[in-house]
Amino acid sequence: MGPRRRLFRTGLGMPSLRQAIDWEIDHYLAEQIDRLMEGGLSRAEARREAERRFGNFARQRRKIVTADRRRMVMRKREELWDAMLFGMRQAYRGVRRSPGLAVTVVLTLGLGIGVNGAMFAVVDRLLLRPPDHVAEPDKVRRVLREGEWFGTHDIITATTYPDVEDLRAVPEFASAGAVAPTQLLTLGVGEDVRRVRATRATHDFFTTLGVRSHLGRFFNVEQDQVGASGTMVLSHEFWRASFGGDPDVIGRTLDLAGHRMTVIGVAPRGFTGVDLEPVDVWIPAVMAQSAQTGSDDFLTDRRYWWLRSVVRIRDDESLMVAEAKATARHVNSRADAVARGRFDENARIFTAPLIRAQGPEASNESKVARWLVGVSLIVLLIACANVASLLLAHGVGRRREVAVRLSLGVSRSRLVREMVLETLMLAAVGGGVALLLAHWGGGIIRAALIPEVLWTPSSLSGRVVAFSALLSLAAGLLAGVGPAVQSTRADLTRDLTEGGRGSTRGRSRVRGALTVAQATLSAVLLVGAGLFIRSVVEVRTLDLGLDVDRLVMAQLEFEGGDPNELERAQLYQAATEVLESIPGVVAVAGTDVLYQWVSVMSITVPGLDSLPIPPGGGPLDYGVSPGYMRTMGLELLQGRPILETDVEGSPRVAVVNEMMARTLWPGQNPIGKCFHYGGAEECTTVVGVVENASRGALEGDRHLAYHRPLAQTGDAANGLYIRTDGDPREVALRVAPALRSFSPRVRFAEVQPLREILDPQTRSWTIGAALFTAFGVLALIVAAIGLYSVLAFEVAQRTKEIGIRAALGAQKARVLRGVVATGARLAVLGVLIGIVGSRVAAPFARELLFHVDGADPTVLGAVALLLIVVAVIASIVPGLRATRVDPMEALRSE
Amino acid sequence: MVARKTEEAMTKTPLGPVQGTLELLILKTLGAGSEMHGFAILEWILKSTDDVLLVEDGALYHALHRMEGRGWLESDWGISEKGRRANYYRLSPEGKKALATEERRWERYVEAVAKIAPHWAGT
Repeated sequence: MGPRRRLFRTGLGMPSLRQAIDWEIDHYLAEQIDRLMEGGLSRAEARREAERRFGNFARQRRKIVTADRRRMVMRKREELWDAMLFGMRQAYRGVRRSPGLAVTVVLTLGLGIGVNGAMFAVVDRLLLRPPDHVAEPDKVRRVLREGEWFGTHDIITATTYPDVEDLRAVPEFASAGAVAPTQLLTLGVGEDVRRVRATRATHDFFTTLGVRSHLGRFFNVEQDQVGASGTMVLSHEFWRASFGGDPDVIGRTLDLAGHRMTVIGVAPRGFTGVDLEPVDVWIPAVMAQSAQTGSDDFLTDRRYWWLRSVVRIRDDESLMVAEAKATARHVNSRADAVARGRFDENARIFTAPLIRAQGPEASNESKVARWLVGVSLIVLLIACANVASLLLAHGVGRRREVAVRLSLGVSRSRLVREMVLETLMLAAVGGGVALLLAHWGGGIIRAALIPEVLWTPSSLSGRVVAFSALLSLAAGLLAGVGPAVQSTRADLTRDLTEGGRGSTRGRSRVRGALTVAQATLSAVLLVGAGLFIRSVVEVRTLDLGLDVDRLVMAQLEFEGGDPNELERAQLYQAATEVLESIPGVVAVAGTDVLYQWVSVMSITVPGLDSLPIPPGGGPLDYGVSPGYMRTMGLELLQGRPILETDVEGSPRVAVVNEMMARTLWPGQNPIGKCFHYGGAEECTTVVGVVENASRGALEGDRHLAYHRPLAQTGDAANGLYIRTDGDPREVALRVAPALRSFSPRVRFAEVQPLREILDPQTRSWTIGAALFTAFGVLALIVAAIGLYSVLAFEVAQRTKEIGIRAALGAQKARVLRGVVATGARLAVLGVLIGIVGSRVAAPFARELLFHVDGADPTVLGAVALLLIVVAVIASIVPGLRATRVDPMEALRSE
Repeated sequence: MVARKTEEAMTKTPLGPVQGTLELLILKTLGAGSEMHGFAILEWILKSTDDVLLVEDGALYHALHRMEGRGWLESDWGISEKGRRANYYRLSPEGKKALATEERRWERYVEAVAKIAPHWAGT
């Protein structure tokens, strides 16, 4: 047809399809009415006729809409895509104009988001996600016991084999099973021998969790009986690493700690039971008898607390009943002990969520991890503040452009949208950088700090990616909206005439506030870092009563059946003699209660109806060989140590610790006092007093303890302590081969410096110190860059003013001082607020610290000093630039 | 279920005479490469068929949208010579192909009708 003007250029601004239909019908009516009126009808008549000719209006319209439906969907998608592409192109153009800014923003946000991504991966594993392969994890619960426990009131996870059988008999539990702590056993013979992490579990442990094997199957009831032939299940990881993922491994017989065991299955990938620590092989719980002692006491005796149980509940309603029934069985089965006052009749059995960190037995690491999430969010906040500050400065430079566009009629909301989109795009790229950082950094955090958790192979799980994406969006909005709104709040006349260089006071104030906020947050983080570092120092210098840094612990594993008490005593005696000739070994002593184990024997004291037990509990029983005090570094306070002459038949003697001496015989000389040990008639005479020592935990109150000669009761040692005169790690390397070869009865010897055993206990503080420091330094760097950019910008903006001052004769030193003082003022303000803030927060973190006050003056002082020094350094460069302003040039540039 | 579907498909495949004819007429109207708005197409068709083909004018718009959905037509908004906002239609490359096929199909149809009722087929 005839010529026409095009209405719309692109997809943008087109009418919606429904609207288009209405427009089209309107057009029809208008044209038809025209034509009919030409034919002589009145307007009203023409309208009626036109409508009649078009047909039933609603029906026709509906038909047309239906015909368009598919197109509508496609069109909507297209429009959305077009709008996004258009927006992104615009944003990209904006970004390209200032690549330096873009790179800074991407890196800053990437760092902030990456730190969070890495921490999220840790927290997700520790706190949020249940262990892998557990079916309906909400229904599986850990069983705990609260009550008197070796003299202290405690919540423990340990339970006995008969108690597990009791749990199975509670009908309100759908099922119950138990697992023992993982121990190192030797697998294979001869050259092939290696240590594996073996975990003993009952057959119903696996059915309770609802885990399905990858290959073969887990043990059944028959295989979990005394006398059954040995069976084992390999972990997926161990199977891949040691057998190359060979499916024919099923049915093979392997030698585990001297027992023939048939491989019957492979667990699914990543299965670690109810904990997160990796396992190499799973073996039936009944293996305990042979792997631990020569008797099956472990399965029948209610005094061996070696298992931890889990139950699957039917529903939440029956849980209370089930717990009550389990508690009743737990206490009633020990009626004798309760009657004799040896067992807490108020002990309570209860259950806790499967995720350990959510229950009362949450590890310190997981608590620290919680805090570190907060810390990483602070790092991100600082990054956002920094980006916002940069964008504000950038906005000043763009004022003229903004003013021009506003005056051309571009709506302000559209400008804001564009600017925010620019920031979001940068944040998205930053999110990509963050994922790389989270991948590498997260790997380092996880491997170095919490190594005994089996992490899912990739640190970039879908959850981490989703979390980072969400965070990128949030960070982009947080950093972008404020500056975008601010930059478009333009005074048109001024901005257009002054070339965008007028007064910037308001914005400087905002940026100053942002800088103060950054300094504040950095100060908080650094105070946290300082407190954790102090904790680590405190832990390291803690007087445990034994020379942790000099001691090596050794335990033997035997070949061809476990030796009886007498043979074991002889073997350990022989081992002691072998070790004493090794260079670097100062002294060797045996004991039946090694570090981190406890043994309590009932004692009675003439003249005392009952023992006054301090909060630390006790009395702990230590059977020791002569030389124990000297080896351990326990200082003898009074009397004599255990001697070679204290043998079977000689008068029974004991060396008590200071706490016991003072508690049982206050104000008296303990030497020569008598107590009855283990219900014996014979008096055990106190011959010496030694200093108090840790019983394996770093913290806790002082307990009662006594040492008696092993030889007097015919008991054998369970392990040896070796005192070294140098680095215990070096000596351990010499000791291990000697112990492994001195007798054919010895299959393996576990040799470990005591410090290495202790380290996991101090790890929460080490993690705290390391990550708080890392994040704190990161924050400091970002904040310093922020301060620098604020001042540099300020100097650039004030070039003219500085030039005039210089022309009027202002001294360079004075100019410099002015700039540095501005920076220092901001920093000091931030530090002050930060220190007040961290003092408010410190009480909440106290449980994570070790003997350190949240308001530690050394830490606060050091942080304040550090921040101010950094602030001054960051201010000097822009300050110097200000001194170089040439008055002539500054004035001419106008 | 299946049988009914087939039945439906069969009744739909050869376009009914009126519907098929209307689409062919639209294709032919735009076939010369011109761009026209709906009312112009309507007038053109009415003029060339002596007002016989359409029961309701709305059916034409329905057909236009149906054909655009099928990809035979493309449209753009513009201002008509009378200064009104109007949607202009033109043939897409697919529409040009469709014109050829539909013409052939129409010829076959006419031939078939002519065999049964020769006196109808004269032009």
